[in-house]
Amino acid sequence: MLPFVIRRFLLLIPVFIGLSMLVFVIGRLLPGDPVQLAAGPHATREEIAALAAEFGLDQPLPVQYLAYAKGLAIGDWGRSIQSRQPVIDDLKTFMPATLELVIAAMIVAILIGIPTGLLAAVYRDRWPDTLSRAVSLGAISIPRFFLGLLLQLALAMWLGLLPLGGRLPITAEPPPFLTGFLLIDTLVARDFSTFFLALQHMAMPAVALSLSPLATIMRMMRASTLEVLSQDYVLTARALGLSQRLTIFKYVLKNALSASLTVIGLYFGWLLGGTVLVETVFDWPGIGLYATRAITTQDFMPVMGVTLCIGLIFVAVNLLVDLAYGLVNPKVRLS
Amino acid sequence: MSVAPHDFGDFPRSAAAARFEAWRRAFYRFSGSRLSVIGLGICVFLVLVAIFGESFVPYPQHVTGGIAPRARFLPPSATHWFGTNELGQDVFTLVVAGSRVSLLCGFAVVFAAAVVGTVLGGIAGYYGGWTDDLIMRLTDLKLTIPGLILAMAIAAALGPGIVNMIIAVSLSWWPGFARLVRGEVLSKKEELFVLAARALGASHARLIWRHIVPNVLGAIVIKMSLDMGFAILTVAALGFIGIGVKPPTPEWGSLLAIARGYMPEFWWTAVFPGLAIFLAVFGFNLLGDGLRDVLDPKARR
Repeated sequence: MLPFVIRRFLLLIPVFIGLSMLVFVIGRLLPGDPVQLAAGPHATREEIAALAAEFGLDQPLPVQYLAYAKGLAIGDWGRSIQSRQPVIDDLKTFMPATLELVIAAMIVAILIGIPTGLLAAVYRDRWPDTLSRAVSLGAISIPRFFLGLLLQLALAMWLGLLPLGGRLPITAEPPPFLTGFLLIDTLVARDFSTFFLALQHMAMPAVALSLSPLATIMRMMRASTLEVLSQDYVLTARALGLSQRLTIFKYVLKNALSASLTVIGLYFGWLLGGTVLVETVFDWPGIGLYATRAITTQDFMPVMGVTLCIGLIFVAVNLLVDLAYGLVNPKVRLS
Repeated sequence: MSVAPHDFGDFPRSAAAARFEAWRRAFYRFSGSRLSVIGLGICVFLVLVAIFGESFVPYPQHVTGGIAPRARFLPPSATHWFGTNELGQDVFTLVVAGSRVSLLCGFAVVFAAAVVGTVLGGIAGYYGGWTDDLIMRLTDLKLTIPGLILAMAIAAALGPGIVNMIIAVSLSWWPGFARLVRGEVLSKKEELFVLAARALGASHARLIWRHIVPNVLGAIVIKMSLDMGFAILTVAALGFIGIGVKPPTPEWGSLLAIARGYMPEFWWTAVFPGLAIFLAVFGFNLLGDGLRDVLDPKARR
């Protein structure tokens, strides 16, 4: 197991380097003159030059990349040219909100997707299966931002059951910063009223975000369950007279789950990027909103930082999934 | 009592007959699935609306940006089926006109991504070696960056406009095709018919164009049809964020973004464009799913 882990970790180094280069190129694609934009319309030529020098933008591109890469290594991810804040500080502020939302959405998706997928496979070609196919295709097809708007319209505006957006009302006192996850921080601080407020605020965005992974996990679970159901050992179990319940829960479920693991890992990374729309609709102060603002103001350091950060989390999650696979399946370790 | 030689009885006599037979069976399987047929119906309907809809809309002047300040925010009625918006424009007219933009953009994105992905994936799969490594590592890297953020950044970089938006989305879309085509080419390359053609002295170009590409095309078409719904969705999402197609060109995502500001009183300005996006994505997803079931033997279970 250890050589496998080490090999997987060493493989990360070229990925990091490639990612940082790609991100730098993308950041450089952004149009216009960010310096001019930040300096304002009335800046003199000298002021613009001074600002460019301050951010190292007067250097040739390879030099800029090397400086950027060196900074990345020591935790200096550059500064936003708009707010003058270090990007890494902004990421620390906004990332937990996004992570919390994505994790909540994934929990919803897994809790609903796994049992329904299993059910669809067991009742293959009968009404639960057809229903699950229609529901999952519908869930994938409804745009997150439209679903978010519908939820807002129905639950917040018409019925007044849930708040429109944000993480907490302005009047509420946020808990002391510990993990940045409001649901955890409030529990640690034993502030239960704020905990419920945070939960209320999270409900609609988490549901809006969870639908497409839910559908995918459901379909994946159905396919892998069908695969397992056709195996000889299931036939043997049945031939030996094991009850349907015992066969499914003891032998089929475990083997079908491992195939769904990959999808869950992949989706986690995709959702980090996909939160942009949900965060826009619900004014959720996460990195999606941060990135959108940076892109529209042509502030390239934050754009690079967000892209890199999401890329790293994506790679890390996939590494974890691979390791978990290696733990479950010895064949993977040897290849 | 003799058993009818059933297995030989309907053996196709020529290649054309075999192909016809295969299509007939595929069609039979396809039409056996109610959801697939519904999907096909939705797609045909949308394509017809996109092509001819603009000629039949009740208020064609609103398509090009004409406004009617006296008819602002009228609720849905017999004269305005979907109501009117903040400029007094007929929402039904805008939604119908928007179908052309959405479908065209969606198709353009998928087509461009398929072409780029096929060329790169084909080169990687056919030649192997370091070209393969280089292209595939690039693909892996692209896949670690969320497509929407990449598309947003590129779209912002290129500036507003339909063509720029199409370029931006397809630049973030090709890696999926590249992976698919590479895998297919790798497996087809070793098949006997390709080896036989090579043994007969066929050139690389002939091998690729005559023997490999036709056999990979099916998989590409399936992926194109599966991706079409998501491409429409992405185009609408960019419009919603405000990068991409800009008013007065009617586009579903940007219509929805504007309407957001007038909820909940004037909900119809948001709900109908949103439903249009949903219907289009749903229809193409159903169709793509059905096509895959029919054309891809591996996925059939």
